[in-house]
Order: sequence, then structure tokens, then C-alpha cells
Amino acid sequence: MCPSCMGLSKTGLRRRYKEHFVETLLFLSAITSIVVMILIFYYMIHESLRAFATIGIFNLLFGQKWHPVGDIYGMLPLILAAFIVTILALIINIGVGVPLAIFLAELAGPRSRALLKPAIELLAGVPSIVYGFLGIIFLVSYLQDSYYMLTGRSILAGSILLGIMFLPYITTISEDALRAVPSEFKEGSLALGASRWQTIRYVTIPAASSGITAAIILNIGSIIGETMAVLLVVGNVARLPSPIFNIFAQGATFTSVIAGEMGEAAHGSLHYHVLFAVGFILLIVVSILNIIADLTRARIRRKFGGY
Amino acid sequence: MKTKVLSVLSLATAAFMFVSSIISLILHPTLNNIATIWQTCLIIMIGSISLSAFIYRNMPLDKLPWLAIDIVFDLAVFLMIFIGLLNPDSIIRKPFGLGASFDYDIILSTLILVAGILGFKDSINILYNFSAKGQEVMVFTAIRLTAVFALLILGGILFVIIYEGIWAINWEFLTTPHRRLGQSGGISTVIVGTIWMVLGAMVISSPLGVGAAIFLNEYAKSYRVKRIITIAVSSLNGVPSVVFGLFGLAFLVTHFGISLLSGSIILGLINIPTIILTSQEALKSVPNSLREGSMALGATKWQTISEVVIPSAMPGILTGLIMGVAKASGETAPIMWTAVTFTATPMQMMYGIIPNVFQPVNNLDYHLLNLIYFLGAWDVWTKAWGTALVLIALVLGTNMMAILLRNHYRKKISW
Repeated sequence: MCPSCMGLSKTGLRRRYKEHFVETLLFLSAITSIVVMILIFYYMIHESLRAFATIGIFNLLFGQKWHPVGDIYGMLPLILAAFIVTILALIINIGVGVPLAIFLAELAGPRSRALLKPAIELLAGVPSIVYGFLGIIFLVSYLQDSYYMLTGRSILAGSILLGIMFLPYITTISEDALRAVPSEFKEGSLALGASRWQTIRYVTIPAASSGITAAIILNIGSIIGETMAVLLVVGNVARLPSPIFNIFAQGATFTSVIAGEMGEAAHGSLHYHVLFAVGFILLIVVSILNIIADLTRARIRRKFGGY
Repeated sequence: MKTKVLSVLSLATAAFMFVSSIISLILHPTLNNIATIWQTCLIIMIGSISLSAFIYRNMPLDKLPWLAIDIVFDLAVFLMIFIGLLNPDSIIRKPFGLGASFDYDIILSTLILVAGILGFKDSINILYNFSAKGQEVMVFTAIRLTAVFALLILGGILFVIIYEGIWAINWEFLTTPHRRLGQSGGISTVIVGTIWMVLGAMVISSPLGVGAAIFLNEYAKSYRVKRIITIAVSSLNGVPSVVFGLFGLAFLVTHFGISLLSGSIILGLINIPTIILTSQEALKSVPNSLREGSMALGATKWQTISEVVIPSAMPGILTGLIMGVAKASGETAPIMWTAVTFTATPMQMMYGIIPNVFQPVNNLDYHLLNLIYFLGAWDVWTKAWGTALVLIALVLGTNMMAILLRNHYRKKISW
């Protein structure tokens, strides 16, 4: 009998064991996330090792041709397309999302806010496959007809779709950041004779900037990692666009290549392992972005204490 | 006074040009008639702006060049149409080798759009004497317009799906399995498969997620342990869904095959961070006085948590769980290679109630994906819209439940 249990009755002892048992169970469920994260990294590395070993890290990352039939794999077309898609989508995303957040946080009356905020949160849940479906039917055919493109499936279509798709996310997080700015800041500025816009421009937005930055970084991660919508509208042709800034060309991103080609890749073939390598690179990029976003958020907490 | 009338006139013209050019950019009609109207608009714009600038007494000289540039731009557009440089046959073919061409309609609409925005800026500036107030009006109008634009798009998405999908929905569609590659029949097996898979995901993720949240909020004493778990949760939250699919393919499919079980485990893992984060919020909002009161009455820690803390945090935890249901029903990429099949497979039951977890199932998202692939080749148009509507109804319905629940208790609970 342990010393600390001395003097306890039988029920007390059973109680104590139960307490320990529950705590252990809860601890185990808490470390599930760590275990899963380690498992994911282990399996991604394990399955992609062969691709890196056969092709070589440099050739795989910066090879200019992606040609599965000839077993030629270079990820440069994917990296470039993913980069262009992300930048363009982000421009749309910020250009529409941040004003929308300012509108909700500063301009909208309480009643329209009470209606709009849940509506926007609701739209965050629309499945990506549905966005892809609508993108194919409306966006792709619009681009194809209006701009005389060979096919509307293009890097531009992917960017527009992703830009719209992640609007709710950036809006909700930016709005929270704008609202978290203490009202004393704004009142002080207004009392000094600044107009409402000057207050927003020179006080509220700078104070909320770390929150908005965190929202943007998180969104970059989501945009890069988005799969189904991109797969359907981007054309999924892994070729370097010519000229390099040709956003009207078909392209393929990390995710669209994995989702589009995994079904055809024979289990255990080089193609299969290369697709895992693409997934591994994607995982690394997104993880780094997440860590940066986390640090940015931690900075706001320190700056404003609790916000 | 005269300037006011003039700038209101130019403001109205600018607004018309702005709206009509956006409409023509989107709808892409032939611009035979409206081109004349736009020419008139440009003339009105040039006249009213230059006239009001002329009448206006305290015109700040440094603003004058900007006005001049805008007027020159309007004039240039007008002349280009007038002398026929820009005519219905003009087209810019693949500039710089881009894969697109821009025809008369697009070019003209874009130019008019720019002219409208410039005219709007100038008229507001003149109306408000180039003051900060004018700037504020301008920016707030732009913000409001952007908000309206975003809401129109987001509302349009819902409207279109309901409008197109409602015609496919009938009793037969919901209660029969699909036949002939989804061209006829309904989606009953698809709905049943989705429900079982999401249910399985919740069975796996809710105890793990809620348990982890309780541990983090109530038990974890070491800051470092807490920090490490939190980092793991947030990185798990950021893992792209397609990577989860690859992980499932490498890890689960080798053990369980392409099966309901693999899909449920993957979706469950995807859900865990959402549930942990929302449950943690709910637990944090329970005030310490409740815990202390229970402890003071002699209850053990676990008794306090299970009898006092969890019931108080229940609405928040439930919200998180419902959000998890919505998230799990909307994922496609993680289950594509791990759990699903397109052929209609009715759920096999063991002992009548438990599904056979080792069989591949149908899924709404995957079904829709396949119908999209078939769109051009087979007649699946209405079925695809119907599937999209059912999917949206499932996901948004559960999401709405979560939001309503949260808002209801947020108002009601005051500690």
C-alpha cells in the first residue's frame, strides 16, 4: 500500500484509483493529436523516400517536366502554378474579404450584422466539391466564352474560385481582430477630431494588423491545401505556362496532381511514391505557414493582453 | 450651388456607367445600343466635371492635374469610339502570347468601368470640396459596394443550387439507389453511406476530442505539455485534406482495405482539432467559482468535472460536435482512395443493426464528383444538381443548427 493511501477507507481507495484511471484516459486522448501528427509525418516520409532516392531531391523539386507516362517527374510546373494560383486567389480574397470585415465590424448596424455574420459563417461550410461543381458550370464556361480561350479550365479560374471560396474565413477572423481593438483607441482618435475613416485607417486597422496578418497566413495555407475545387477547374495539365505569366493557361497544383493522378498510379510504382513526395512537400509548406500564423497570433495576445 | 447640381449629375452618370459596365462584363451582351448611351454619358461626364471645375472658386491647384487626366481619359475613350478605332469588330488577339483574346465588348466595358470609377471619384471630391469628409464617403461607398458584391456572390451560390436542384428532388430520388452510372434512379445508398461514415467519424472523434479538451483545460498543469499538445492540435488542424487521404491510403488501407472503417477513422482524425478547439472554448467559459463550490462540498476532481463542469459546458461542446458533423460530411479528398466506391452498394448489416465496417460505401461528395466527371458525356445534369442540393442541405442544415445553438446559449447564459 502506498504511503499516501494510508488511512483511506476502501471506498476512498477505489475512488482514488478511479480518479487516476480517468486522468490517464484523458491524457491518452489529449496526446492522440501528437501521435497522429507523428504518424502522418512518418508515413509521408516513409512512402516518399523512394521517390527522393530515385530521382534526387533537386531534380524532383526543380525539374521542368512532369510526365508520368515517361516516368519523368519535376515539380517546377506544380510549384509555379500553385504559387500563381495562391497569389491571385489571395489578392481577390484580401481585396473583398477585408473590406467586408471592415463593413461588418465598423459600418453595419446591429441588426444587419446579426443577420450577416451567421450567414457568412454558414457559407464557410459549403463543401469544396460544390464550389468545384459551380465553378465548372458557371466560371469555366464564362471564361471560355468571354475571353476566347481554348478551354476555360485555367489557372485564372482556379484563382477566382479559391478567392471566393475562402472569403468567409478571412472575413470572420479579420472581423474578430477588428472587434478586439479596444474601443478606447477609437474613441481617443475620434475625440481628437479624426473622421471615422481616418480612425479606421490609422488606428483600428494598424491595431488589428497582426490578427489580419494571421488570418491571411492561415488562408494561404488553406488555399494551397484546397483540393477538390482546384482539381475540377484548373485543368490539371502539369506544364510550365508559356509565357510564364500566362494565367489563361491550364495548370496543375500540388493538390490537383495528387487527387487527379493517384487513382491511376499503380500501388508501389515510382509514380505512386512521387505523388506521396508531392504530398510531403505540401505538408511541409502548410506546416511552416501554420507555425508562422501561430506565432503571429501569440504576438497579438502579448500586445493586447487577452485579445 | 451650381457646382452641386453639376456634380450630382456627374455622380448619377458615373453610377450608371459603373453598374451598366459591370453588368455587361458579366452577362457579355452585344453592345450595339448601349455604346451610344455610354458615349452620351462620357460627354455629360466631361462637360459637367470640367464645367464645375471651371466654376469652382477655391479649386486647389495641386488637384487640378488629376482632374485633367481623368477628363483626358474620358475624351480619349469617346474619341476612340467616335472615329471607329474601337468598333464592334476590333479584338486584341492573344496579347503577349496569353491564351486569351479580348473583344470589343470586354474592352469597351472595361474602359467604361474605369471611366465610371474616375468620374465617381472626381464628383465626390468636388461635391465635398476635396475634404477628408469626401474621402471618407468615397471609401465607405467602396467598402459597402464590396460587401454587397461579396454577399451577392455568396447568396447567389445558395440560390442557384436550390433553384436548380429543387427539380430533381422527389421521393423516388431520395429512396432508390442510382442506376446506369447515375443517369437514373436516386441516391438512397449514397445518403445512407454518408450518414454511416459521418456517424463512425463522430464515434471516433467525439470522445477523443472532448477528452483532450477536458485534459487541456482541467488537468494539464505543466505549461510545456499543454503547449506541445496545443501546437500538435493546430498543426493537425492545418494538414491539407488531401494529405489525410494519402496518409489513409498508406496507413489504413493496408490494414482495413478500402472500407467504411478507414473512411470513418480518417474523417474522425480530421474532426478532432475542431472539436478540441470549440470544447476548450466552452470549458474556459465555465467560471471557477462553480468548480470551487463543488470541490468545497467534498467532491473529487472527476466528480466535479463530470457533474458540474461538463453539464455547464454542454451547449458549447455540442456546437463543436455538430460542426464536426458538417465538416465530415463535406470532405471528398480524404476518402477518395480510402473508403468509397461509385457502384451502388447497399449497406450490409450485421445482426440487423451494425453495418459491416469492412465494406466500401457510397458517399455524397464522391457521387457528386463522379457525376461532374460524367457531365459532358451522359445525361446526369439534374441528378448532379439534386445531389449538390442534398449535400448542401445536409452540411448547411447541421451548421445552422450549431450556429443557432451557440447564439441561443450565448444570450441565455450569464454567470
